[in-house]
Amino acid sequence: MALLTLTTVLMATLGLGWLLQWLPARGQPKPTYPQRAPFLGGGSPDTHAWNRYHIRYYPMTLLLIAFEMEMMFMYPWAVVFVEKGAMAVMEMGMFLAILSVGIVYAWREGVFRWQ
Amino acid sequence: MAVSWQRRLAAHAPAAVFLAEGARIGPLRETLALSPGIRLVDTPRHASVLLVAGDIPTGWRDDLRRVHDQLPAPFASVWCCCEPFEALHDPIRIDTLEALPQGVAETHRELMLGKRDSAPRLQPDEPPNPWEGLGDDGHGGEGMMGGTPYGRPMAMNMQDDLRDGLTLDTLTFRLGPFHSGLPPGLQAEISLQGDLVQAWTVTRKPFASVVEPIFHAARQAPVPIAELELSRARHHLRRLYRGLLVAGWPRLAERTLSLTGQLSPNSDITALRRSLERGGLWRLALPEPGRGVLDEAQVRELGGPAVRAAGIDEDLRSHDAHYRRLGFAPTCRDAGDTAARWRQWLDEIEQSLWLAGQAARHDLKTAETDAVETPRGPWTDAFPHDMSDLLGQVLPGLEWGEAMLTLASLDVSALDLHPLEEPWQRSTGDREGRA
Repeated sequence: MALLTLTTVLMATLGLGWLLQWLPARGQPKPTYPQRAPFLGGGSPDTHAWNRYHIRYYPMTLLLIAFEMEMMFMYPWAVVFVEKGAMAVMEMGMFLAILSVGIVYAWREGVFRWQ
Repeated sequence: MAVSWQRRLAAHAPAAVFLAEGARIGPLRETLALSPGIRLVDTPRHASVLLVAGDIPTGWRDDLRRVHDQLPAPFASVWCCCEPFEALHDPIRIDTLEALPQGVAETHRELMLGKRDSAPRLQPDEPPNPWEGLGDDGHGGEGMMGGTPYGRPMAMNMQDDLRDGLTLDTLTFRLGPFHSGLPPGLQAEISLQGDLVQAWTVTRKPFASVVEPIFHAARQAPVPIAELELSRARHHLRRLYRGLLVAGWPRLAERTLSLTGQLSPNSDITALRRSLERGGLWRLALPEPGRGVLDEAQVRELGGPAVRAAGIDEDLRSHDAHYRRLGFAPTCRDAGDTAARWRQWLDEIEQSLWLAGQAARHDLKTAETDAVETPRGPWTDAFPHDMSDLLGQVLPGLEWGEAMLTLASLDVSALDLHPLEEPWQRSTGDREGRA
């Protein structure tokens, strides 16, 4: 019964989404090919725009992930901390020390400098 | 034809107009920007009316056709002082400036209410480069980057990176001649690596820059210095308006432009300067110090505010006895970079307003007619010629945003030696004054 209800809700949601897309577009002509071309003020491209692009802030995002992983470890650690005692504190200390070395290294390499 | 409530609402909204600027139209963009029933947009996709104004050279027609077909239906094209495409059966022509804003707004209203049919498409509705269907994935060749999907190759690694040696795929395209971020008429072939300009080659030079008729009159006979300086201030305010639009500050741009209509010898731009400084334009939007620097030979050739922004006090007004009587001395900056050129505009506007006030008090006219300092540069026997090839030396190595702001800071088009004819002449002063 629950599955049927969920399926009904899912179908209704998908149907509503499709309707919201379809209603404004009904009867509208599809954009022509010249209309779909990139606007370059009358100019034209030589190649497709799909190219390798260097996101220059990516080392910073990697560092953010490092912090995220730290938090992921700290939540379960906080649950068992009282039970494990000093052992848990040492383990967390080691983990943070290793992570800190990475952060200090990244800092030295200029990751926090906006380019 | 039933008209939906959305269309009725759209009919009451200002007409979204994409302006394709031809040669010798003067400050039409600025005039339209101050018209209440019109909203100028930067791409045809946001427009319901394509306004083509001024002489469009024959070689530019294909580019214009491409822009024409990029407007979403329903749309119309309005032609002002130029020949419409023959394929348009019933083109809308408005050749008087007075009727233009009203005519454009009316065309938009009729379109939205279904009283006017959408303009026909001029290009065939077929892919510019047909699908070839070759290769494993139908991309026209072997391997991930092989082949030419839709007949157009993928961006490939073709040039070494200028910035840090991390070589990426080079994206090459032609921008213009109807792009609002470029000087009217300019078309450039640009290669980008990521957001870095790798190469900039001018393929079509911009249309010659038109100055107000009083600068032409000053070459014939003495003219009131107050009027001449107000015209100069108006010219720089319009340049600043276009630059602020490129920088993405539309409100400040509109405010700057609205000053051109109320300019008098008593005008003051302190509030505008304060807004630009407090708003963070200098800090946030403009390139860092040292970007977009021109060397001495380049600025001397360019002349005008660009040379003074590099610390060289070259100004023909220094040779005019009546200017000297007013205590004129060229205002200069030292850096010669993009930010210095933007600041130079403000300095020169302030100086022109001060000179206009002084000259109006003493009722002074110019003393020299052989040598006139136009807002574009010095006009003697020689005159400012096209310097757009300079862009190929200045812009490579800059990030895209910096490059566009540097381009906005440079007046590289030649000076048009002939004053505007009717009806464009009226757009240079009195229309903005009324707006």
